[in-house]
Amino acid sequence: SERKALQVRRAIVARRRELLSELSVRKEKEEASRRAEASRREKDEEAKRALEDIRRKEQDRIRNEIASIKAEEAKKLAANLIKVGGIKAVDLDQMDNVNTDDLMKIHVAQLEKEKKELSERMRIISKRMDHTERAYRKEERPLVAEDYER
Amino acid sequence: MPVPNGISHSAEEDDIDYSDIEAKYRVEMEEGFDNIIVVDGVPVIDELKLEKLLSKICKEFGKKGLTVKASSIHVPWDKTTGKSKGYIFMELQSPEEAIYAQNAMHGHAFDSKHTFAVNRFSDIDYFANLDETYEEPQASTYVPKEHLRAWLADPQGRDQYVTYRNDQVAVHWHGKPSQSEVAYEKANWTELYVQWSPQGTVLATLHRRGIILYGGPSWKELIRFAHPLVKLMDFSPNEQYLVTWSNEPIVVPEGAPQGPQYFSPEDEGNTIAVWDIKTGHLLRTFPTQSNAQDDPNAKKQMQWPALKWSGDDKYVARVTPGQQISVYELPSMALLGKKSVKIEGVVDFEWCPLGDKDKDEMERDAKTPSGLVPGKAKKVRENMLVYWTPEVANQPARVTLMSFPSRSLLRSKNLFNVTECKLYWQNQGDFLCVKVDRHTKTKKSIFCNMEIFRVREKDFPVEVVELKDTVTDFSWEPRGERFAIVSSNDPNLGNPGPGVTIKTDVSFFQLEHGKGDFKLLKTLSGRTSNTIRWSPRGRHLVLATVGSSTKSELEFWDLDFTAEDAGRREGQTFKEEWGSGIQILGTADHYGVTDVEWDPSGRYLATSASAWRHTLENGYAIWDFRGQEIEKHILDRFKQFLWRPRPRTLLTKEQQRLIRKNLREFSRAFDEEDIAEESNVSAELIAHRKRLVDEWNAWRSRCKKEVADERRK
Amino acid sequence: MRPILLQGHERSLTQIKFNAEGDLLFTCSKDHIINVWYSHNGERLGTYDGHNGTVWTVDVDSQSHFLISGSADNTLRLWAVATGKCLYTWELPTAVKRVAFSEDDDQVVCITEQRMGHQGAIRIFDINREGDGTDQSEEPSSMFNPVGSKPTVCTFAHTPGMILTGHESGKVALFDAKTGEEVNNNERAHMDVVTDLQLSPDRSYFITSSKDKTARIHDTRTLAVLKTLQTETPLNSAAIAPNRPYVLLGGGQEAMSVTTTSLRQGKFETRFWHKVFEEEVGRVKGHFGPINTIAVHPSGKTYASGGEDGFVRVHHFDESYFKAKPYGDIEPED
Repeated sequence: SERKALQVRRAIVARRRELLSELSVRKEKEEASRRAEASRREKDEEAKRALEDIRRKEQDRIRNEIASIKAEEAKKLAANLIKVGGIKAVDLDQMDNVNTDDLMKIHVAQLEKEKKELSERMRIISKRMDHTERAYRKEERPLVAEDYER
Repeated sequence: MPVPNGISHSAEEDDIDYSDIEAKYRVEMEEGFDNIIVVDGVPVIDELKLEKLLSKICKEFGKKGLTVKASSIHVPWDKTTGKSKGYIFMELQSPEEAIYAQNAMHGHAFDSKHTFAVNRFSDIDYFANLDETYEEPQASTYVPKEHLRAWLADPQGRDQYVTYRNDQVAVHWHGKPSQSEVAYEKANWTELYVQWSPQGTVLATLHRRGIILYGGPSWKELIRFAHPLVKLMDFSPNEQYLVTWSNEPIVVPEGAPQGPQYFSPEDEGNTIAVWDIKTGHLLRTFPTQSNAQDDPNAKKQMQWPALKWSGDDKYVARVTPGQQISVYELPSMALLGKKSVKIEGVVDFEWCPLGDKDKDEMERDAKTPSGLVPGKAKKVRENMLVYWTPEVANQPARVTLMSFPSRSLLRSKNLFNVTECKLYWQNQGDFLCVKVDRHTKTKKSIFCNMEIFRVREKDFPVEVVELKDTVTDFSWEPRGERFAIVSSNDPNLGNPGPGVTIKTDVSFFQLEHGKGDFKLLKTLSGRTSNTIRWSPRGRHLVLATVGSSTKSELEFWDLDFTAEDAGRREGQTFKEEWGSGIQILGTADHYGVTDVEWDPSGRYLATSASAWRHTLENGYAIWDFRGQEIEKHILDRFKQFLWRPRPRTLLTKEQQRLIRKNLREFSRAFDEEDIAEESNVSAELIAHRKRLVDEWNAWRSRCKKEVADERRK
Repeated sequence: MRPILLQGHERSLTQIKFNAEGDLLFTCSKDHIINVWYSHNGERLGTYDGHNGTVWTVDVDSQSHFLISGSADNTLRLWAVATGKCLYTWELPTAVKRVAFSEDDDQVVCITEQRMGHQGAIRIFDINREGDGTDQSEEPSSMFNPVGSKPTVCTFAHTPGMILTGHESGKVALFDAKTGEEVNNNERAHMDVVTDLQLSPDRSYFITSSKDKTARIHDTRTLAVLKTLQTETPLNSAAIAPNRPYVLLGGGQEAMSVTTTSLRQGKFETRFWHKVFEEEVGRVKGHFGPINTIAVHPSGKTYASGGEDGFVRVHHFDESYFKAKPYGDIEPED
């Protein structure tokens, strides 16, 4: 019975060892999978970060591009405005502080001004034409009667 | 207004026997044939096709707004052939409609082979009974003549225009809103159209029996010219003579009136007549010339004016295509030098117009006894004309300037690969442009040369402007040194189809002083404009798209917009950039526009849509020179709008200069007038509106109360 | 004033109507369909399906409860506005050209066309508003045949029991709804067909449009012409704009040939006229064919036009429309 007990204990021990080793294997596996999981997550994170990075860079690039286009436009607009006399060339130095919206406003104001000038000029021309013709006719009037008597 | 018991009332009416009244009415109808027209040129058909033909005819008339029932068409039949006779009688609602139908449908292309010729039955009736309607010429008693140019002395300095709508002719004053009014108006004043004399002195109306001239403040009849069925007329530039044309050869029936004002048997068969406006005497008649002799298959086209006048009314000339130009002296109408100028191949010619300079010189000459002219005074330029002959065999085409009465050749120029020439004089007789349509050697494409003659310079220098495109319109600036052209390389050019609008370019050219050649000022590309209208004062012009079904835009241009500040003076060359003064002043649109004309002062432009061309939104509009609408009238059956021309000003150059110099003073007075006018008009309008609102409000408050009472019941 | 384009019809519009609140717009067309839309954004709520022919006319009661419609399929139909259900159908001998609710919503009046041995007739039906609306009487409460020129448009006049009509000859008339007696008429109100008739809010005056190219404002009681608005085109519709002294006119000549239409594209205009001064004050273009029907929102802040082109255009007025005083301080009463 002692042998039996020993056998039993041995078996238990063996079983325990088995269990233990199983446990350690499982633990190891778990550990491995955890590690794998962690590293995967890390990789994911990294990929995400990279993506984020790329996106941010892209956004920056676009923003820069827009800014540069805007600046370019502003410059063009400004150059145009200088040409037509809306602003003075010296103002161009302070260009950095001037955005397109402001320039646009200047431009619109400029167009408005031109339109006004055009219509004012037309008004003057119109008046001059009308008054010259009327003056001729007024002065001609007495001559018409004489013309008949002749 | 309201008829109580209207039901029983109208029921009673149905029972009344109207047959006697109707019978009487019918007899009256048959006595007056004024509402019947005869349409010739109708396809000859047999009876089977009658219904189809009638319905198509009704439809065609319907397109011009005329409602015609098949039952009111009578078709005469040829009993021997069993076919129709190719003409029909049509009964219209009224004599007015008959006149409208005649105008609208005469010359209407029914199909490719048939063109309508429309006459009013009463016209034919009139000719059939011509000898019976002979009228004794009335002995005229002397009445002091009205001043025919009194309209120029209008205290408000207004211009006039004439309109012809339906059967109503009206002469209008055009001025400020309060000054615009109808000066005179009359129904059935004309039967075809009206026409001003070139200086505006008289208004001509066209009738079955001939032409009548009207004038003076009371618009009395001044004189008549008996040319039956006259269709076209033309005044000489100084209003001394009149040329008339009818498609019907002259017939002198027995018992017709005789005398210097009437046709005599030797005029029979002729179609063109020349008259003296003062005496009313007939001077001479001619047969119609057609230019179809080279090509008998070509469509017979008559040139109008058939007779062309020299600027001083001293000569009138006509061309016999291919053979000669005949020049007649006025008033005798005798052939100058007793013979025509033989020019083999001659196609066309144009007299050089008289410029203001020439007129001044002529007046001075007339005042100074001959022989006493101080040596420094220039001699008045001789009349001259330009003609062209096409290429024949090895002979090049040629443009020649010839003076009259001396018949000396002043200048000629040979041209090659010529398809066609058009002759354009500048209105002061300073420049001549010969627009030469040329073809490439293969004859595949056409391009254009403009040969410009500077006719006031020694030896008549010529300069050529070459263009790759076809030039469809050319126009000199009046009194100016510029011209405008419409050119196109649109592949559809020459094959107009419905809905096709030709793409065009418009270019301005100007004489470059010193160099003496014409240089391009500016090209406006990618347009549809096909019509150039310079202001009679120059400087401003309007580009229009006329006759298109899809476009009707008007563009108002100023060619000296920036030069205004410099105070433009005659002949002044401005230092500014070439072409920089060109500025568009405005754009507008007149749907269906058919005619575009400036007023004589160049301040206003009139556009009209004539029922002679189409029947959509007929009427007229007046704009200022920058395209702002002053007034617009849409009027059914509107046909004609004509500004009354003005003669040359009576002011001397010096007087004009003084006025311009003192413009400020005049301006002050006019400004005051204008302000008074404005407040006057607005005060009147405000009072009128106030009255209307007061009336309305009074009615509203009364009505509201009464209606409320009634509704409570 | 950017318009909202309602594209729910395949053929030309015949009549359009706002409800009393103005939030709904009913449109009917030759395509057999009646549509209802939100007027503020142009969203379609639904349709009223059932007619088998051109729907010539439509009207809605003051509570937006019932809709009445008349069609070329010879029926008059009553609909539930909210559900789109057809509640009752009256079979009539000929096409129904015009319908209108009475002010108290208890009656409708309709015009049937003169055709095939049937005289043009005016019928008045009592509307039973109890229950679900399906229990209607088949027979009209009254019916009469106007003698002479046939009626083209009708509505209830300023007092109940009085029917106001416009006729083919250009006549306008007042009939006793019960007896059919022509109580009053103005034979020469127009020189050609009366195409539309719309009442002022208090029904004391009304506007008519006609093929004679004029629109006229009449006193409802005397039928006297108060104002004449002379245009240069045949008119199909005229509406009174509440709160502003304007009336809106629509019409247009059908271009005679295809080649001439292109320029006219989108240029058929709603014309605004000052009703007291008889002066044109403005135009709004947009339709590709003649305008057949115009309706103004009861508050006057929106209007809609229905065209031969199959489109309905809804315009909301800008603030400036209400503030603008083109004639200064001279402003008439409503």
